[in-house]
Amino acid sequence: MYRFPEDLFTEVRIEKKEYVHYYILNGEVEANTQSQVIGALIRVFDGHMWYTGTTNKPDEIQQEMDNLAALAQRNPEIYDHPAVKNFGCNKARIIKYDGANDVRAVTPEQREELVEHYLSVCVDESIEELRSHAGNYISTHVVKEYYSSKGAEILQDMQRCSVWVGCAFVVDGITTWAGKNLQEMEFNRLLGREREILEERDRYLEYARNAVDLEPGDYTCVLSPLATAMFTHESFGHKSESDYMLNDKTLREEWVLGKKVGSEKVSICDNGGMDHNGYTPYDDEGNAAGETWLIRGGVLTGRLHDSKSASVLGEGVTGNARADEYFSVPVVRMTNTYMAAGHDKPEEIVGGVKDGIYVRDIVCGTGSSTFTIRPGLCYRIRDGRICEPVRVNVLIGSVFQTLFDIDAVGDDLEIFDTFSCGKKGQTVQVSAGGPTVRVRKLTTN
Amino acid sequence: MEMKEKYVLHAVSSSVGIEENRVCSFDKRDQTFMSFRVQEEGILGVHFQQGEMGDEEGYARARRNLSLKRPYPYEMETGSRSRDKTERVLTDRQLMEITREALEHLSSRYPDFTFNGGFSQRAMYSGQENDRGLNYSYRDCTTDFDLSFKHRDSRELSDGGFSIGQRDFDMEKLYAMADNYLAAYGTLLELPDEIIVQTQYYGLLGYLTSNLNAESMSLGTSLLSGRIGEKVFSEQFSLAHDVSENECWNIPFFDGEGVTWPGDRLPYIENGVVLRGYADKRTAAKYGVEHTGSAFRSYADIPGNGNVNLRISRSDKTIRELLGGRLTVVPLRCDGTTYNEKGELIMPVQMAYLSDGERLLGRLPEFTLVSSMFEIFGDDFIGVGSDQPVFNDKSILVRMRLGGKEN
Repeated sequence: MYRFPEDLFTEVRIEKKEYVHYYILNGEVEANTQSQVIGALIRVFDGHMWYTGTTNKPDEIQQEMDNLAALAQRNPEIYDHPAVKNFGCNKARIIKYDGANDVRAVTPEQREELVEHYLSVCVDESIEELRSHAGNYISTHVVKEYYSSKGAEILQDMQRCSVWVGCAFVVDGITTWAGKNLQEMEFNRLLGREREILEERDRYLEYARNAVDLEPGDYTCVLSPLATAMFTHESFGHKSESDYMLNDKTLREEWVLGKKVGSEKVSICDNGGMDHNGYTPYDDEGNAAGETWLIRGGVLTGRLHDSKSASVLGEGVTGNARADEYFSVPVVRMTNTYMAAGHDKPEEIVGGVKDGIYVRDIVCGTGSSTFTIRPGLCYRIRDGRICEPVRVNVLIGSVFQTLFDIDAVGDDLEIFDTFSCGKKGQTVQVSAGGPTVRVRKLTTN
Repeated sequence: MEMKEKYVLHAVSSSVGIEENRVCSFDKRDQTFMSFRVQEEGILGVHFQQGEMGDEEGYARARRNLSLKRPYPYEMETGSRSRDKTERVLTDRQLMEITREALEHLSSRYPDFTFNGGFSQRAMYSGQENDRGLNYSYRDCTTDFDLSFKHRDSRELSDGGFSIGQRDFDMEKLYAMADNYLAAYGTLLELPDEIIVQTQYYGLLGYLTSNLNAESMSLGTSLLSGRIGEKVFSEQFSLAHDVSENECWNIPFFDGEGVTWPGDRLPYIENGVVLRGYADKRTAAKYGVEHTGSAFRSYADIPGNGNVNLRISRSDKTIRELLGGRLTVVPLRCDGTTYNEKGELIMPVQMAYLSDGERLLGRLPEFTLVSSMFEIFGDDFIGVGSDQPVFNDKSILVRMRLGGKEN
């Protein structure tokens, strides 16, 4: 064990990551790699400054720690520091993925067969618009160790695997990529998904052939569960990350707990303990994942914290301090974030729209006071029916208004594991979820 | 016959973090990435290592990975050259002192703002060598001061930001930039009738870059397919891969296959005419096009296609001369900016300044701009100035239109 320096708070995080990537483009293998990285991050805190170092050599951690401690000012009261008090001192061993479900046991032949099989399902050379096709398989398996001078000793693992296949259709010189990405925690769950791949390909082919440009303006939008998932993540999820508002009087007044921030139909939760892409049983400060209700019945009820933000705002830690790689310092991040199911039937939600848009698929989004969503597949809704596909460039809304504009929430909650989230130069894996919802107004351009 | 090649990247970075006007952290990273590559009978075995490893062990592991049968039947390159762009290396203590001094200056001069971000230095060495005699190396050391700012009365998480990258850090340039960005914040102005966007152009170039991929051009999935030799863009618009002394910034002059060009420059578009797409050796062989020294260094696999450092040729005129008295719009926050599959650009602008090309004059309301790849680098392209106002870097001037129903 390490000799932690006295009168300083110190933590060590060691990660062993194994990464596999197989990629085939137009029949040629573009990538076939297996790599392994071991790295450690060492942090020392003296109450004023954090001193951070990294190494790829676990046997040099002690030396690195001693070097960092030499830079810091000794502080006999360090364990009375409010942020340090919030760091976890848990002892735990949660190894879930070292048996038959371990993605590292998947052979090169298995992953190649999977990609090639799904490509054979997806690629139909008789489709005259087809110009290009590709497929890939990615898996990561990470074992993390966390130790701190408060006595934390945590060993945990996580893994994910994904397969993506796609085709490019060219219609009138315009290229539309039709792709289906499947992501799971275990390899076996990637099998037998042919129908989903075919349905997605055909939807996009119809879209490529028939989509018409939508006139820019304000529209009532019905969001599919996938679109709601991104909407939830971008429109409100980022606002719930409290490191943005530590000593900011304006933001603290704007987002005071108990304030009504949306329609009473809206409830949003983050839970790192769920068996989804944001699975984080213990965060990178040694705190256990919790179920954090951010909004309940339209009222702001909680927010996401690391040790520091919780201490500054006088709230409890939530297990949301996450780092994307061994060399990154943790910041406040979402884990598995979803809008809770309501009681409305999806077909009734669409049925209540005279003229609007159904947003079925999404590409990406951004989140601040003005949030944006780049949709993939959209359809016009006319007189309560989903009609022709339409091209929508971007959906824009205001977080201060849009949550109030939700007037129907479906009973068809789904969680999606294909999300990743960027912040402060780091990209972490998250899941996002939601049911079908109706928003009275979003702006398109 | 067996051939061996090695990539090495050694990067040492030091960063001082600023959070809510306080220096809060010091991070030091010393990372080494190595790639050992053994070529035998048209197959490449690769071993990727983070952290140092001796040649004997590295090549032995690469040899074992020949079993993955990664095809790579191309000749390894020869050549010997080195470039060192290092001008000044700050000590960690200097980095810390500069950050504290700058923060104190900004906090006292602009007490209504909260600053987040930090000051970092990155020293890097990139080397490539093989047993045919290739021996290329590149060194650089750059500093970046990145600051986001938020006014105390703002409901935004951040109101904007600025950054300045330098090889020989000059505090006065940072202060001048900060004055330009922060002094204008309190002035609210209206959009001009003619919208000329002034911005660093890297973001706008991304979509054009993907359309210059020789594979996409060959398959018909690029908007530039079948247009080589055609004048597609403005007469004033020329674009080249440029890793010459003046244009490299933490990027080597050699590609992942050890290819270099005379003058370290290869044009792709000249006076609006599309000359070629970019291709590494494998893409070139597959589609029967010229290879352009565009392989990126894949540390764990065979090289991939897409290593281009595209630069727009500069005008002889300064930004002010190009404007001829007109004003510009400088977007600071434009989250959600995207090109659609037709090549149309949609840019929702959450925060922008009005400028005379050098001085920021005041803040503009939220708006959305639209354009397209063909307009930006075609009829609406005004030029890239010979000087570097506002960003301490190259900036493009381009006309755009307001988006929305009313337009």
